[in-house]
Amino acid sequence: MVDDEPSIRFASAAHRQPRLLVRLLQCPQCSKPFNAPVHLPCGDTVCRACLPSARPRTHVSYPNTPDRLQSIVCPLPACGAEHAAAECCLDVTMNKLMELIELEMSKYRLPIGDTPTRLIEKLAQEDSTKVGEKEMEPELGHERVLHGGRLLATFTMAQMGELRYNSEVEYSSVQSSNLQLDEQQYEYESLDIAFLVQLQEAAGEVTNCLVCYNMMLDPTTTACGHTFCRRCLTRVMDHSNICPLCRRDLHVPASLQNKPSNRRLSSLLDLLCPEILADRLAALKTEEQPGNETLDTPLFVCTLALPTMPTFLHVFEPRYRLMMRRCMDGNKRFGMVMYNRTGAPQGNLGPTHFLEYGTMLEIVNHELLRDGRSFVEARGVGRFKIQDHGMLDGYIVGRVEKVEDVSLSEEQDAEQGETSGSHEYATRFLAANPDIPLPFGVALDSMPTQELLDFCMRFVNDMRRASAPWLSQKIVQVYGEPPANDPALFPYWFACVLPINEEEKYRLLQTTRVRERLKIVKTWIERIQNQRR
Amino acid sequence: MSLSKRIIKETQRLAEDAVPGISAVPHDDNLRYFDVTIDGPSQSPYEGGVFKAELFLPDDYPMTPPKIRFLTRIYHPNIDRLGRICLDVLKSNWSPALQIRTILLSIQALLGAPNPDDPLANDVAQAWKQDEQAAIQTAREWTEKHAKP
Ligand SMILES: [Zn+2]
Ligand SMILES: [Zn+2]
Ligand SMILES: [Zn+2]
Ligand SMILES: [Zn+2]
Repeated sequence: MVDDEPSIRFASAAHRQPRLLVRLLQCPQCSKPFNAPVHLPCGDTVCRACLPSARPRTHVSYPNTPDRLQSIVCPLPACGAEHAAAECCLDVTMNKLMELIELEMSKYRLPIGDTPTRLIEKLAQEDSTKVGEKEMEPELGHERVLHGGRLLATFTMAQMGELRYNSEVEYSSVQSSNLQLDEQQYEYESLDIAFLVQLQEAAGEVTNCLVCYNMMLDPTTTACGHTFCRRCLTRVMDHSNICPLCRRDLHVPASLQNKPSNRRLSSLLDLLCPEILADRLAALKTEEQPGNETLDTPLFVCTLALPTMPTFLHVFEPRYRLMMRRCMDGNKRFGMVMYNRTGAPQGNLGPTHFLEYGTMLEIVNHELLRDGRSFVEARGVGRFKIQDHGMLDGYIVGRVEKVEDVSLSEEQDAEQGETSGSHEYATRFLAANPDIPLPFGVALDSMPTQELLDFCMRFVNDMRRASAPWLSQKIVQVYGEPPANDPALFPYWFACVLPINEEEKYRLLQTTRVRERLKIVKTWIERIQNQRR
Repeated sequence: MSLSKRIIKETQRLAEDAVPGISAVPHDDNLRYFDVTIDGPSQSPYEGGVFKAELFLPDDYPMTPPKIRFLTRIYHPNIDRLGRICLDVLKSNWSPALQIRTILLSIQALLGAPNPDDPLANDVAQAWKQDEQAAIQTAREWTEKHAKP
């Protein structure tokens, strides 16, 4: 029998933990196996009959749908909260599971033969010292001889109402009419495994998530009593607020952040089907990754972001909600790229709808709104160029290569080469044409890097004195004071505050030399100065 | 791109447990792209016709509905000249608990019960409302002409 079920054989040691398993099927209120189980907002489950009746809720005016104005005081001592009656719904999955189990049990009872086990209920401390009329006498647990192996016997004892929720069970062998004691142990384990397999099959039948078709992972139950994987339900909520099964309006914060999982179902599946869940988790990792493992950078196609500078986003599109959630679960990083408005070819990528250079952002603050939208504050941590791209669940993913500045020595060589070369040229030019201004490029090249920065900073200071609106206190508060001593970073800061179009600023992302960036900034400044003249 | 377990399971079920009068076969080189045929329902003007359609599962399926379009020309008030279909479950009433099978069944049902009050093809809807018998006759002729193998 055991060998017929190789996949189950060591999948779960649950048959060796009969008490634990049976407790998960017992109502914490009446101690019987669940009958019409209701899922409570606090995450636990009780029989419908074990819930106190609803009463009008006082001092609540929002939301004031009639069913929310009725409340039920949670009977579980660990909770005791007032739950909205509307949120205490029949747990559809758990109910089906219990029905299946009872059905299996009735089929199973017959062929178990004479396989007695003695079960002695060991009351928990709080149950045995309950203050009652027999105050001085500790209450005693029940004792039974039952058949069919430990698991079935324990379940049967719970059905008989003789096994309190918190009690433990002591098992001992009883001489069977047709088995030797040493045969008994083997026979009983076989019975336990057979019953366990039936439980596993029952669970497998009813715990498939109707969104992903897998066994529910971290099962989460809606107010209408329908259960899905938490991540499936969250993804559904990215798109709409209604239950995928019954279309009832769910009125839940789309993030489900504070919504407890279905604890019963979750523990039950953990115990019954640990291997399926482990496989599922492993599969999930690959599913959430693009098929091509090198496409590991999620790309947000939206706006220009710059290194070291903050970017503020309002995330409302379902696909980006999903992306942000995954980022928050991971390294908090994603790439920001701009739209390719002109449709120009992007290097090897061809005419993609986004530009090939972008900025890697790290999420600093992720503020989730009740309806699932979110505000994201992120900071640029580096630049990249996209080498390859693909799609994952509606958003773009890419393989990116870092874009970094050349080494400082190369930078210095470049400065030396440019400035000295153009200096010579300028000297000759001015000697020949004393009245003509130097050609713009020559003037630019001849300026030392520090002078370029000083020129830009002078402009910033002049503009601030002139109260330019784009340098208002508010803007400076957001982007910080200009990095006046850092020629490498100054252009990014400047581009953040300067009101010119993003395509022009985009050129900064492609630079690999500090000088190059400062020169770009200087051309912007000169254009502005010329316009003002 | 990795194919989700769900798509694999749906495809298996479509093959193993086929719906009478409907077929959906994925392309070998793109498992999200299906060649679909739908038999015209009996006692409808499409009876006897076999209508070809293409179905595509977008990247975020099942969060968003499959995209489906008739390739065979069909005279129907809720299907336009390009084969696009006006059906609530393909749009606002989509739910991730629906599946390829249920969608194809809905479309087959739509063939059996045209709804000229919610038209996509306005001229057809107009004709349908003005003279239903004549419209049904046209639909029959089109079926004869375009949908017979
Ligand atoms: Zn509670
Ligand atoms: Zn109960
Ligand atoms: Zn799921
Ligand atoms: Zn529901």
